[in-house]
Amino acid sequence: MAFEPILTRNVRKPGSETIDIYMEAGGYQGLRRALKEFTPEKLVEEVKASGLRGRGGAGFSTGMKWGFLPKTKDKPRYLCVNADESEPGTFKDRLLIEKDPHLVLEGIILSAYAIESSLAFFYIRGEFHQGCRTFEKAVQEAYAKGYLGRNILGSGFNLDIIIYRGAGAYICGEETALLESLEGKRGYPRIKPPFPAIVGLYGCPTIINNVETLANVTLIAERGAAWFASIGRPPKNTGPKLFCLSGHVKRPGVFEAPLGVPFLELLNEYAGGMKHPERPLKAAVPGGSSMKILPAAKCDVLMDFDSLAAAGTSLGSAGGFVMDTGTCIVRALHNVARFYAHESCGQCTPCREGTGWLVKILTRLERGDGRPEDVDLLAGIAGKIEGNTVCPFGEAIAWPVESYVRVFKDEFEEHARRKACPMRAAAAR
Amino acid sequence: MPELSPPPHQPNVPAPAPPDAAPLPQAGPDEVALVIDDRPVVAKKGTTLLQAAEEAGVLVPHYCYHPGLSIAGNCRMCLVEIEKMPKLQIACATAVAPGMVVRTANDRVRGVRAGIQEFLLINHPLDCPICDQAGECRLQSYESAYGQGYSRFQEDKVHSAKRYDIGRDVKFDAERCIKCTRCIRFCDEVSLSHELALFQRGDHAIIGTFPGRPLDNPYSGCTVDVCPVGALTWKPFRFKSRVWFLKNIPSVCAGCARGCNVDLATFRDRIHRLTPRANPEVNRFWMCDEGRQSYAALYDRPRFESPVERPAPGDSRGARDASAAGPDSPWDTALDRAAALLRGVVERHGAKALAAVVSARLTVEDLYVAKRVLGELLGVPRLAAPPHEAGEDDHLLLRRDKTPNARGAEALGIGAPSSGRVKEILEDAARGGVRGLVVVGEDLTGLPGFSEVLYDRLDALVVIDWWKSPTVDRAHVALPACGYGEFEGTMVNFQGRVQRLRAGLRPHGEADPVWRILRDLGRRFGLANEYATPRAVFEDAAAKVAALSGLSYRALGDLGAPLAAARERFAGAPAPGA
Amino acid sequence: MTIPVRPETDRKIDELLTRFPMKGSALLPALYVVQEEKGHVSDESMEYVASKIGVSPAFVAGVVSFYTMFHRRPVGRHHIQVCRTLPCALSGADDLMAHLKTRLGMKDGETRADGKFSLASVECLGACDRAPFLQINDREHGPVDAAKMDEILKGLE
Repeated sequence: MAFEPILTRNVRKPGSETIDIYMEAGGYQGLRRALKEFTPEKLVEEVKASGLRGRGGAGFSTGMKWGFLPKTKDKPRYLCVNADESEPGTFKDRLLIEKDPHLVLEGIILSAYAIESSLAFFYIRGEFHQGCRTFEKAVQEAYAKGYLGRNILGSGFNLDIIIYRGAGAYICGEETALLESLEGKRGYPRIKPPFPAIVGLYGCPTIINNVETLANVTLIAERGAAWFASIGRPPKNTGPKLFCLSGHVKRPGVFEAPLGVPFLELLNEYAGGMKHPERPLKAAVPGGSSMKILPAAKCDVLMDFDSLAAAGTSLGSAGGFVMDTGTCIVRALHNVARFYAHESCGQCTPCREGTGWLVKILTRLERGDGRPEDVDLLAGIAGKIEGNTVCPFGEAIAWPVESYVRVFKDEFEEHARRKACPMRAAAAR
Repeated sequence: MPELSPPPHQPNVPAPAPPDAAPLPQAGPDEVALVIDDRPVVAKKGTTLLQAAEEAGVLVPHYCYHPGLSIAGNCRMCLVEIEKMPKLQIACATAVAPGMVVRTANDRVRGVRAGIQEFLLINHPLDCPICDQAGECRLQSYESAYGQGYSRFQEDKVHSAKRYDIGRDVKFDAERCIKCTRCIRFCDEVSLSHELALFQRGDHAIIGTFPGRPLDNPYSGCTVDVCPVGALTWKPFRFKSRVWFLKNIPSVCAGCARGCNVDLATFRDRIHRLTPRANPEVNRFWMCDEGRQSYAALYDRPRFESPVERPAPGDSRGARDASAAGPDSPWDTALDRAAALLRGVVERHGAKALAAVVSARLTVEDLYVAKRVLGELLGVPRLAAPPHEAGEDDHLLLRRDKTPNARGAEALGIGAPSSGRVKEILEDAARGGVRGLVVVGEDLTGLPGFSEVLYDRLDALVVIDWWKSPTVDRAHVALPACGYGEFEGTMVNFQGRVQRLRAGLRPHGEADPVWRILRDLGRRFGLANEYATPRAVFEDAAAKVAALSGLSYRALGDLGAPLAAARERFAGAPAPGA
Repeated sequence: MTIPVRPETDRKIDELLTRFPMKGSALLPALYVVQEEKGHVSDESMEYVASKIGVSPAFVAGVVSFYTMFHRRPVGRHHIQVCRTLPCALSGADDLMAHLKTRLGMKDGETRADGKFSLASVECLGACDRAPFLQINDREHGPVDAAKMDEILKGLE
């Protein structure tokens, strides 16, 4: 744990959310420097060179995403900040918004400058009441100091920011659903192509970036691409990263470490190990509830995009959670499936019909009305959803179902065979 | 562009690719060459895969895609495999690209389709035996073509609102609904009435209206047409006939000057519904509710079955039969008498005392024979058609002018419907200036210049009409004509497009088409031409009337053709509602 | 149409209409403003908002029903939302909910007759490090065990 926190350097200071504390620690110097020294193109190059990959879930190169904007500038461009943090297990953006909003805001201003946008939207999930209040205050402070508004720091660059509250829909974290919601509609993901960089908000070129991604842009402007690219596991997994860990751990929380930190180090050193020493690790979902589960034996993995992909799962939003040996996996999957059935927008057939079906089967299995064929059926349904939906939500339900059933097949089969939850039966004895 | 896979959505019988086909054909500058199911295909740039495939004869199954609506991409039924793309892509939203290699029917695609079918049916009530859509339901057609034939679903279905009136004439069964949103898009994009929306989400998503604001627009029936399943049904048609007993006859609506192309569905000699038939130049895919139900008048209003004669002033035979007011007469007797009455007027007062009120609801053939027989042979100096107007032209199809063949009357030289000319005739009749009047397809009551007294002044009133009316009741000779669906012929819509109406019913009683009644009357005045069929009448008209030159039934086809004078209008003119 | 909201609410919505490049974006914020005044979003409110924004009432109702934070019916003065998603469930969310039901004498999804409390289990609130977690109106509490819950409820008396 020799790593010195950078993204979270301020969060434990009292009053960390105020502009004064932020500036005391050197805040807005990166912006000042960038506006003076960098053209927008140069800043895009800098972010590309840093190797920064999106922290929202897909892990796509941020600089490359910006590069998809059309060369012509006949339409306004928008920057939308995805602060709709909703993936179960994930609460890292909340930390930044509530405890260091100016780090995010500085990243927004820098990114808007880089993509030549003069209007940014901060789409924050509706349930984040505190976060919304804090961020609103931060925006006011930034306007007062001239970091927002017209002719920022005498650079000629203008930027306004509008805070937009979501209203309770997980799907709005999907970037095109977010745009629909921002346009005042039901949050239905759009068909792609066209991608938002070409046709986005109000039909204009739009970049959607995650909160943590933008906070990293601040760091890149402050300390340079080379510095950023030296952290983690270069060349493809660079920079500091916020990792969430919850579930059966002693100290659940958000932990900052370089990309590529071993999962077991996060679990045992950062989070203090398992909550109940007598119940060891059974399984972990390192990336957030829509990612694939790893059994304890396979948890010796590095926490970066490519290592986790190689291990058969994904970094996702780094919303990791762990389950101890007292956990019924069928019950856990039932909970996950119920979440996704509740949150399915209902637009396209496989997800709308499939998620509900999965829940019904899992409810039966868990209740003790399982059938032997249910186990394969669960995987079969997941297989019919995966890849066939409008948006990645299809994978978000298919992956946990496929992996829980594959990894813990015995446990599912035992539920069906014994017509009961074996763990509950054991507990009752 | 027509909906290319209309009911009953027969699946492909893929033709094998020609053995010597080049891997990629030559494409022109605005074209794209690609391969679909091993067949080389050339498509226009910008078309979607689904369109390109259908034009090449490969039907890609789909629910939510409709050529007249925006693309939703939600049903996922049209997923196809494209080489070099890891995921299947929806054909409805994927533009053709040069060199694309597409597979629409391999195992992977068929497996996904079967999966979509299974998903769509898990919460569906499977109540086909009592569903009006059965027989033209895409769920059925696709299940038999692409389904796995069984379901693995053994849970409780999601239950939802059933058979309630979502609009005056439309019933909704939410359990049958597949949420393709075609109906919503229709109301948002075509009728612009915005009554429908999706509510809730996930598998509880349901289409509905706002409390107190039902589906209520002049085109509500189109939501039923676009519904690919039995969720929305047209109340007047509910439980009237199984659709497989219906015979669909391509025809044209005669409700207004638009002339929407329709399918006239008959069973047991009765029309059961009209549905729009796609014609990009006239009505695209739509028709109004008023037109859709226009056939109902055929059954709601009393008809008369055979010629009727009544005594006329100074008419000896009329006096002979005066005991019975209006006994049925055989056609020959009635026609003889009509001829005699008219001839009597000419003999006593000259031809100038004759006039005719003909309807612009008659066909070109009817009006042409009317003009020949009445105008040329009898020398009737004045033929006029009354206008019928109601409401206003709207943004889509509805026309204020309710006469479907006004342009036809004009083209034939009878003149556009004119209240002035009708008024003149009727006022003359009331004054005694007109002594013999032929009325075809109109009830004089309420027409401009009409007064009850004119009936008493006429020595001859010959009426041809399809239903009873006060004018028929006063006629000295009333001759029953075929009503809508019983005759065939052509009409010219307000755009100047000549379109064919076809017959799907036997004539009511002894009714005869107007053109034939007039022809037979004409024979009593020396008409030589045979005029055996409406086609023969039309072809004679096309040969003699300049406005119709160059047209023939063959040229009209199912979608009609413009009058010479209107040809420019159809060269690249945007279709209504486009 | 009579305006079913207070003049200042109406003014707030007018201001929202000018805030966005396109008026439609004002819908969610306008619904929030109305709900803030009324406690819920009634049919009447939806028709009003629809006419302000220039969309159909059906469209507004469709949007309202899509988002869980708009209440179609009044909720309790203290609207208690208990997270039930996996990380909270692993940490005893079910027990917390059971305790609340007993303490308040209510079922999940109910509003108490006296209008004081409404209780709902909800999906992930994004505070899994504080599991089991709940929100009462716009205030956050977690981790909450039975004793802590009783203390919180006491504060609401």
